[in-house]
Parts: sequence; C-alpha cells; structure tokens
Amino acid sequence: MESKIVEFTNLLRKSGVRVSVAEAIDAFTAVDELSFEDRELFKIALRASMIKRGDEIPTYNELFDLFWSGFYDNLREQFGEMAGEMGENGIDLEQLMKQLAEMMSQMDGDMDLGELAKALLTQNLNELENMIREAAEQAGTQRIENMLQVGFFSRRTMEGLGAEGATEELEGLAQRLEDAGLSPEQVAQLRELIGKLMETLRKVVRNFTERELQTQNHDYMEKFRREMLTEKSFYHLTEEEIARMREVVTRLAQRIKNVLSIRRKRLKHGKLDLHQTLRRNMARGGIPFEVIYKQRRKDRPKLVILCDVSSSVANVSRFMLQFMYSLQEAFTKMHSYVFVSELGDVTPLFKERDVNVAIENALDGGDVINVYTRSNFGHAFHDFWKNHLSAIDNRTTVLILGDARNNYNDPKAWCLRDIHNKAKNVVWLNPESPSAWGFGDSVMDRYLPYCDVVEECRNLRQLAKVVDQIVL
Amino acid sequence: MFESVDHVVSQLEKQGYICDKRIGTVVFLANKLGKPVLVEGPAGVGKTELAKVVSAALGRELIRLQCYEGLDEAKALYEWEYSKQLLYTQILKDKVAETIQGATNLRDAAEKIGAEDSVFFSERFIVPRPLMQAITSEEPVLLLIDEVDKSDPEFEAFLLEVLSDFQVTVPEIGTIRAKSQPLVFLTSNDAREMSDALKRRCLHLWIDYPNEELECRILNTKVPGIDERLADEVVTVMHRIRDLDLKKTPSISETLDWARALLALNAGELEDELVNDTLSVILKYEGDVQKAQGELSKLLEKKSAEAAAEKPQPAPAAAAKKGILH
Repeated sequence: MESKIVEFTNLLRKSGVRVSVAEAIDAFTAVDELSFEDRELFKIALRASMIKRGDEIPTYNELFDLFWSGFYDNLREQFGEMAGEMGENGIDLEQLMKQLAEMMSQMDGDMDLGELAKALLTQNLNELENMIREAAEQAGTQRIENMLQVGFFSRRTMEGLGAEGATEELEGLAQRLEDAGLSPEQVAQLRELIGKLMETLRKVVRNFTERELQTQNHDYMEKFRREMLTEKSFYHLTEEEIARMREVVTRLAQRIKNVLSIRRKRLKHGKLDLHQTLRRNMARGGIPFEVIYKQRRKDRPKLVILCDVSSSVANVSRFMLQFMYSLQEAFTKMHSYVFVSELGDVTPLFKERDVNVAIENALDGGDVINVYTRSNFGHAFHDFWKNHLSAIDNRTTVLILGDARNNYNDPKAWCLRDIHNKAKNVVWLNPESPSAWGFGDSVMDRYLPYCDVVEECRNLRQLAKVVDQIVL
Repeated sequence: MFESVDHVVSQLEKQGYICDKRIGTVVFLANKLGKPVLVEGPAGVGKTELAKVVSAALGRELIRLQCYEGLDEAKALYEWEYSKQLLYTQILKDKVAETIQGATNLRDAAEKIGAEDSVFFSERFIVPRPLMQAITSEEPVLLLIDEVDKSDPEFEAFLLEVLSDFQVTVPEIGTIRAKSQPLVFLTSNDAREMSDALKRRCLHLWIDYPNEELECRILNTKVPGIDERLADEVVTVMHRIRDLDLKKTPSISETLDWARALLALNAGELEDELVNDTLSVILKYEGDVQKAQGELSKLLEKKSAEAAAEKPQPAPAAAAKKGILH
C-alpha cells in the first residue's frame, strides 16, 4: 500500500502538483488512521494532506480516478456489460448462478477450483482487482513504456494470473456438471458463460495495462499541466474555459489587490506622527519610547491601455482588460483604446457598463472601430500620437497588447518613440514567443527600442507576473 | 476524543452543525494526528463556526486570534508589561538600594542590578496574548486563527514555529514549550495565497456551498419552525441565485437570515412581491439585486404557472371577468 501511495505522489508531481515529502508522510499517517474499505474516506484523507490549492483539485480528482478507483469502475462496467450481453442472448445470469451454486453444493468438496476460477465464477470483483494488480506487478507492467508493449504485458499478466489453468478448471467443472445430470441447454449456457468470463478477463487485463501505460507516460502528464488554467494558452480556449477563466482572473486580481495594500504601506517612512506616538506611549508616561511615523503612500500609477483586438489576439485582450479593470482601484486613471487599424476610445464604455459587458462590446469594436480590417499598428500609433498624446504624462504607464503583425505596413516606430519619451514607461505584451519577433510581418524588433518592458504573455501566469510588475 | 468519522459528524450535528463526510474526515484526522487545519472557502459557509462547534464537541476552551493587517507578535503572542515593571521598580526602590549597597562605583552597581534582571524579565511581567495562552494552557484548548489571509506575510512566517513545534521563543526567557498540544484551526477567505511552508504544515479543508439537500437540513436545524415547503423553496432560489454572475454571492449565513426574515413576516410561500421586498437581506449590491430580480420573477412565474395548472378553476373565472369588461 505504501509503495502505491508513493507512486501516486510521484504521479501528482509529474502532473504539476507540488507535494512535499512531509505531506506524503502526512498522507501515510492519515491513511493509517482510517480503513481502506471506504474509498471516499480514503480519497478525502489523501486530498486533505496533499492538495492545498483549489486549482489543483480537478487534477487530483482525475488522477485519483485514474490511479485508484478508475480500474475498479472499469471492472464493474465490463462485467456488467457481459451480464447484459448474456441477457440479450436469452440467458438469465442470476438464475444460472443460483442453479450452479445449488449443483455445486450437492457435489460438495469435489471441486478443485483455483482462486481465479472461483473469483471469476462468483464475480468477486474486489478479489479479482487484487489478483490482477498483483499479477501485473509481478509481470513488471510498471516498466511499460509504449503502446507496442501493451499486448506483451497483458499476456504476461494473464499468464501470471494462471488464466489458462482457470479455463481448464472451469471446463472441467462444466463437464462434471454435465455428467451429474445438468440439462444440455444449461450446460451450453454455462459453457457460454465461461467463454464470456475469460473474454472479459482478457479485456480488463488489457485495460489495466493501458492504464498503467497512461500513468507512466510523461506526455499524458503534460496534458494535465496544460489543462491547469493558469498555464493554458489563451489561443486555445473553449467557451466554457473562457467562462471559468473569468473567475480565475477575478481571483488573481483580488489577490494582487490585497498584496498591494500591504506592500504599499511598507514604503519608506514619512514624517513623525506626533499624535500616534503620544497615544502609543501613554503607558510609559508619555515618554516616546516607540516612535511612529506617518506612512507615505506610493502614488498610484496612471494607466493607458492600447489593445489590439484583431481576432488573433482577442482572447488575450479580453483577459487583460478584465484584469486591469478588476484592479481599477490600483490606478488613479485608466484610459483604454482598442485598435485593429483605426484607434477607438473605449474608456466611456467601461464607465457606463458592467465590466464584462463592456469587454465584449470593446472586442467587437464597440461601435467605434471596424474590426474586420487587417492589423495596422503604425496607423493606430499615429492616430494615438495625433489625437490622444495629451492623455499621457510622466506618471503614466502605457500598456500595449498586440502581436505586432503589421501586414507589411509602415510601422511608424517614431510615434511609439514619442509616446515613450512622454510616458513613465511603456510595457508591451506580446502573445507570440520571442523567437518569432521580427520574422515575417512581425515588426516587434522595430518597436523594441522604445519599450521599457517587453514580455511574452500567453497564459494567465505570465499575465499576472507582468501586472504585478506594473502596479507595484 | 472522536472515535470515527461518523462519530465526528454526529457529534457536530448535536452541536447544531450539519456537515458532510468530507469535513468530518478532516476534523477526525486533525484531532488524531495533532495537525493544524487550514480551512478555506467563500465567506459565510461556516468556517469559523466549524472551529467553534468542534471546541464545544470536544469540550475544549476556544481561544480566538482574529487576524488583521498589521497584527504583530506583540498582539498575537506576548507583550512586556512595561508599566507594571515600572511600578514594581518604584515600589521596590528600597530593595534596589539594598542590592546595590556596597557598590563602590557605577560599574559595580550596574553589575549587581544586571545579576537581578531576570526578576524583571520573567513570566510575571508578560502579558500573554492568544497564541501564548493556547500554548501555556494546562488543559488542551482549541486555537482558532481567524482570517489568517488578512495578516501580513511576516506574521505568517512567525506562525510556522508555533504550528509545527508548538513552542514559542521569548528572547529574554527562552523557549516555552506547549504543556498540552492545542488543536489549531486556521481560516482563510482565499484573499491571499498562503505560503507553501504554512500549507505544508496543515491539513487542508475546502468548504464550499452545500448542495441543496444539505442546505435544507441546515436550514431546518438552524431555523426551527420553518415550514418544510418554504425551506425547500428558499434553498432552490438560493441555488439559482448562486449560479448568477454576482458581485457578492450569498452564502449559507444569508440563507439563514432570509429564512428568519420570511418567518418573521409569517410567509407561507415565496411570492413575487415578498421576494422583491426581502431580496436586500441576501444581496448587498444594487446591481446584484437587479440581476437576481429578473431571474427570480422568471422562476416564480414558472412556479405559479405550475400551481395554476394544478388547480385550473380560477383561471377561467378570471378570463370570464375580462370578457365582461370588454
């Protein structure tokens, strides 16, 4: 059992869940206090001691099923299916079993059925599960590496189980029952049952081997890592994930807000706070043992956001806008513009409407710009330079989001240079990876010199990191 | 002491706290292994309440430390009682003079005073704060560190010593070990991610909104005298509201408040007008109220339509009236 828990811990680690040694030990002791019989308790106990973050729970649940209970469920399913098939062929399994039991008790002691044969005949799934696990371990299934070996290890597991012997024993049983006077019809049914049982056994063993392959397979684990929303690329999101992502963004923003209030307070000391000092030192007769300073608060930055909303980066823009507007209190002023080719001011949109509605409006152009043209960063920057440069002063952070794919238009980098000269800093978030910058129609390399911070931003974790840098 | 998970659940139920096996298991393990529990979940699902009922069920004293921004060691652990020390020196002036008698110079006098300074830095002059109280108590207690996410990261780091070894270090005195090991509950609203070091030392319990059946049971226990049908309706409506995208999602405590309000108004069942009037009990933002109103009127309409289908007689009568008017 303990080795299984260790294995499970490794599995969790491979899937990107951090489990420390201390936590694994906790899991051991916790499991010791409970019985294994109740799978639900077992699951809760492991979870309480190893999983400490809400976003890891889905991964845990999936892995737990894969590792602990999935196989049993499969076993039940397969045998259920078998019973169903028999039923279709006009055989009432229950009645057959009853009759068999009756016959066998009459022939008492005569039967030398091996354990496997017994477990199969009585369909004792718990017993079967244990036997298969044991046989698989002896067959070395845990060393499986690829699909091609599934057949081999399944065969070896079957051998280890003694499946052939069990078939013979069951055949023998049928023969003897026939001799003892079982009706030919029922003997035929019994033979069919035996055949089906062996077939199902082969199926479940194969299934077990495949599961083992999955748990060993690193690529498969990678999938879990990617599934975690914070790591998931904005490019590939389903509708449902967008909805879930929205919640995650809100939580993340809330967290940054909290840290913000704490960290900002810890800024340098200000002037002596006479009032507080006297109050605090009353107990010492007014002698100022403890000196208290007024805390100077850091100025909140102003923010100007320029968002590319062309279809290629719309999702990234969506979450960044949501993120920034959830953090509104962290900024004194916030202006947002969207562009594809022409530039549109969507600041009023956000004032009038609920954030989520406003974002959806902004993304489809918000009645201010045409989103069905081709991206032209140069034109958008020039437009901003001409009409909105006054929105920027030396306390403003300019946040630009886009892939800088300019469709071979004039990049007009000098506009960005002027913006850069006026602003406190310019931050560019690019959803493409740095190796693609400057290739093809990307003009990122032309803009690079005028940005203070340039970050690749493709998932929530990266976004959170950048935002953290901006607001603090 | 709890004997099994089911025992925990039934004991908590006796205290009026209805919970599922998940909570029961974690409480059982915490008690058995002597590990702190970090309870997380949305506001108002009964995190603090859990600690209270566990202390009641175990018959342990509850010591509560409410965390807030700027909470420091002096308020959480101990403080030197400066004024008392001062008072003692004043009263014991003669004794002090006696001690330094025979000292020929300042250095000697200082040495002599120095030899006695443990008198002034002893447990006598310490004001114990919740953490110290929990550790020095003769009887095992239950320590509740509430809203630990509101505290500063520094404080969290300092908690580690207390949580893992159940000891505190006072520089002037030395290390004070726990006489009896307290059972520790930490609650957090997930406003801030707790550090891995802290999480590692705790069992983790995530309490979410209960399912409808559980919430019904909670409602019936906590608000005695409520009509069962009304309780069902209230819970259904609450679950519907929680599915909406709201600024502040109402919690169990709001369900209870609402049920009590309805009871006070002698309501037998939910009606459109009644719901609109009392919606402010569960929703705290105007925007939320508007959103919920739209959704709820749909729900109630459907309900009344169903009711009308059940007893179709009044409907034709109303239609007939209309006919006369025209």
